[in-house]
Amino acid sequence: MSVQTPAVPLTRARRRTGIWSFVKRHALTAYALLAVGYLMLPIVVVILFSFNAPKGRFNYVWQGFTLKNWIHWDAVLGIRPAVITSLEVGLLATVIATAFGTLMAMAIVRHHFVGRSTTNLLVFLPMSTPEIVLGASLLTLFLNTTAVFQLGFWTIFIAHVMFIISFVVVTVKARLIGFDRHLEEAAMDLGANELVTFRKVTLPLIAPAMLAAALLGFALSIDDFVITYFNAGATQTFPIFVWGIARVAVPPQVNVVASAIFLVAIAMGLGNVFWQYRAAKRQRQGA
Amino acid sequence: MGAFLHRHRGLTPYLLLAPGLLWLGIFFLIPLGFLGYESLQSGLFPNFEFTWEFSNFSDALSSYHEQLIRSFFYAGIATVACLLLAYPLAYWIAFKAGPWRNLFLLVIVAPFFVTYLVRTLAWLNILADQGPLVGFLRSIHVLGANEHLLSTTFAVVAGITYNFFPFMALPLYVSLEQIDSRLLEAAKDLYASSTKAFLRVTLPLSAPGIVAGTLLTFIPAAGDFINAALLGTPKQTMIGNVIQAKFLESLDYPTASALSFILMGAILVALLVYARVVGTEKLTG
Amino acid sequence: MTDPRFNDPLTRRQLLRRAAVGGTVLTLPALLAACGGGSSASGTTAAGTGGGKPQLKDVLNFSNWELYIDTKKPTTLQQFTEKTGIKVNYYEDVNSNDQYFAKVQGPLSQGKGIGRDIFVATDNSRFPGLYVSQEWVQELDKDLMPNFANLVDAQASPPFDPDRKFSMPWLSGMDGIAWNEDLTGPVTTVTQLFEDPKLKGKVTVWTEMGDTLGLVILDNGDDPSKVTDDSFNRAIDRVKQAVDSGQIVRFTGNDYAQPLAKGDLAACFAWSGDVAQLIADNPKLHWGVPEKGGIIWTDNMLIPLGGDVPTASTYMNFVYDPKVSAKIAVETTYISAVKGVKDEAVKIDPDAAKNPLIFPDDDILAQLHQNDPAMLNNDDYVTKWQEVQGK
Repeated sequence: MSVQTPAVPLTRARRRTGIWSFVKRHALTAYALLAVGYLMLPIVVVILFSFNAPKGRFNYVWQGFTLKNWIHWDAVLGIRPAVITSLEVGLLATVIATAFGTLMAMAIVRHHFVGRSTTNLLVFLPMSTPEIVLGASLLTLFLNTTAVFQLGFWTIFIAHVMFIISFVVVTVKARLIGFDRHLEEAAMDLGANELVTFRKVTLPLIAPAMLAAALLGFALSIDDFVITYFNAGATQTFPIFVWGIARVAVPPQVNVVASAIFLVAIAMGLGNVFWQYRAAKRQRQGA
Repeated sequence: MGAFLHRHRGLTPYLLLAPGLLWLGIFFLIPLGFLGYESLQSGLFPNFEFTWEFSNFSDALSSYHEQLIRSFFYAGIATVACLLLAYPLAYWIAFKAGPWRNLFLLVIVAPFFVTYLVRTLAWLNILADQGPLVGFLRSIHVLGANEHLLSTTFAVVAGITYNFFPFMALPLYVSLEQIDSRLLEAAKDLYASSTKAFLRVTLPLSAPGIVAGTLLTFIPAAGDFINAALLGTPKQTMIGNVIQAKFLESLDYPTASALSFILMGAILVALLVYARVVGTEKLTG
Repeated sequence: MTDPRFNDPLTRRQLLRRAAVGGTVLTLPALLAACGGGSSASGTTAAGTGGGKPQLKDVLNFSNWELYIDTKKPTTLQQFTEKTGIKVNYYEDVNSNDQYFAKVQGPLSQGKGIGRDIFVATDNSRFPGLYVSQEWVQELDKDLMPNFANLVDAQASPPFDPDRKFSMPWLSGMDGIAWNEDLTGPVTTVTQLFEDPKLKGKVTVWTEMGDTLGLVILDNGDDPSKVTDDSFNRAIDRVKQAVDSGQIVRFTGNDYAQPLAKGDLAACFAWSGDVAQLIADNPKLHWGVPEKGGIIWTDNMLIPLGGDVPTASTYMNFVYDPKVSAKIAVETTYISAVKGVKDEAVKIDPDAAKNPLIFPDDDILAQLHQNDPAMLNNDDYVTKWQEVQGK
């Protein structure tokens, strides 16, 4: 449905005053903050307990405040390589899976081809397969092809890309389905070929969807335990490390690392806000 | 290059599909084949024989249909809960967050950066009988003195809802974000109240996101087992727990594989029903 | 320098040099990846039984649970390397018996190695018995193990390996009942745990069949190391009853620890090692062996196919020196199976040496029994046990 921009500027509806309209205007924001609070609730507990000083090896009862865990964050053997591996696999697998998944989404939404509905169904299958069988059957494949695949970083990477792709496809499809093709047609009318149109028109418009899909994929990757455990060989990712150690202890350093990853992510988000603010300011000044 | 693609237009979808499809083909379909082979085996560990044992499927179904139904029930409730909880948040981020939107997207996803076990232990802390939340609920008489939050169906479904929240929120945001705000202004110009504008313009245009979100939430939630294991009693076990047990403890690979296919099949059936109800274009575009 | 993750074959000298220099930088997993899949590196069994002293490898690959070895320098692993020149690649990749089994059963069932010389499995699960009965583990070389004589008598003949041909205990723990004195008086019998109305809904038992049913079988007056259909059914019926009545609220792994510490549970089946740690933060917790007897579980060192028997046996022998074992037991707070370990522990940490949960004296040990591997591997029993848990 295309919109005819009117020749005269739109008039604003007169702003109504009063308590009720104030509440209505800000109700959504209040809800949003509440929802964020709900999401953050366990994180707050995690961060809080990262400052705990338990006498025993478990971190369940608050004993006292200390900064020692943060200073000696890698005092627990194995935690540092596990975190680094998790981050590396996460970034790499997310990038690849987002790329492959976006391409697949474009094919499915925009083209009619033989096998389209089968492909659609195929995309849902990995999501519906229980992780344990997904992991174990992939392991069977690797064990039967040891000349090519040796368990370790790269098999973890392969497994992660495999289960992230479906999520990317479904997420990006949601964007492509409502996509206004006229913009692309306009670009091509102005002489751009397919590739340039894709780069300059399509890609920027679906970028938010790709970012959202990438975030989802990264979250899946960094949190995955079952599939990774079966296909990691001796390599440890952070979840594997945590599940392994939990039999015997829950060291506060685990909370420290988890909190740190979380805080770094938030910091990046804040940085993004600041950067966008600056960009908008520059635009306003330039205009 | 552009001209090449133009001339071979028919090839384009296949080229676009190739990398992803190849990856899934090798690393998912082939292992799935192993699984299919296992599901038709019989015998006890480790002496399995391939005997076209289709009875694995019927036996598994008759023994574990209760857990299967329960899984769909819990996943369904959790999906609806996610939808109701996440939609307003996604709406706010898409329309009102302005430059803060990427930060809030991160905030939605950030709980995942804290490993599952650590998150759940934090919830066990928060929902503990001696904890603040239960104390508060008891003081306002929502909870009886002997009732608790943990080890209940509520806890399991709440756990599933919390864990799959981003899977619903992000696709919702994706389709809300692309709605042209001029459409809403036009609706307002035509004297629609904000509620009407929402129901007649925003909601329908966000339908692909709703569909995507419900799929991304329901499908994996149906196979979840961890929430039931840590937050529930034996009366809350889901099909994922059964498959886990058969695979790891009973070493009954044929039954575990058969159950996996049954779960996949049930989900596909549910998908087909859903596609019919919702209209296939929203699912396939 | 090639990135080990690309599986480039490095020469052994390059590896050892980098390992010596790299310490914390070069991770153990990367080392393994560089060994090219591992199974060939430590793989081939040296010709041990021929004449003369068998050749030892210069690297030992050992898979264990996390936080299950001493870490204060000089660590026992470093002491071992100093004494024998054999470097130990220590992997903490056993995070549950059943998942580890699922991981390794592929190559082992095909007669191939798993890149390890030693791994551990707990005998309250079906797996040690399974590894032995499937012949996926190799016999120890007792000629290289004079310290074998230091094995405590109670562990000389475990049901799954009566002649100790394939295994040696690493560390043990005890199964018992823990209670919170704020919520209940002492809980000393299984009967009380299952039937005291004050405890209703605040009791948990383990998901592990060997641990839970072992204690119930003892409470019934039967022998958990020789389980019959009758004794099994008697025990499982009691558990089922307690679940149906709402007495038992959940089946747990070690995730009873947090609710117990927080007061969500009044009493539960608990492992001695866990409670020893929890008491440090919540002194209201107590643990005891049930009146009718308790179960002792042991993580056993096993040599998988493809592992090097002489090298592995040499390491096991080293660990059976009471001084070495004492250091490990004191730092991990689990129970050692070596004679004379308590006297050595006094020299390292007198307080730990006095803790009966870490160094139980003989009368406690006399009340402890071991699981019957036949029960653990009986598929009917396993299925019935899962049914009780809703699986």
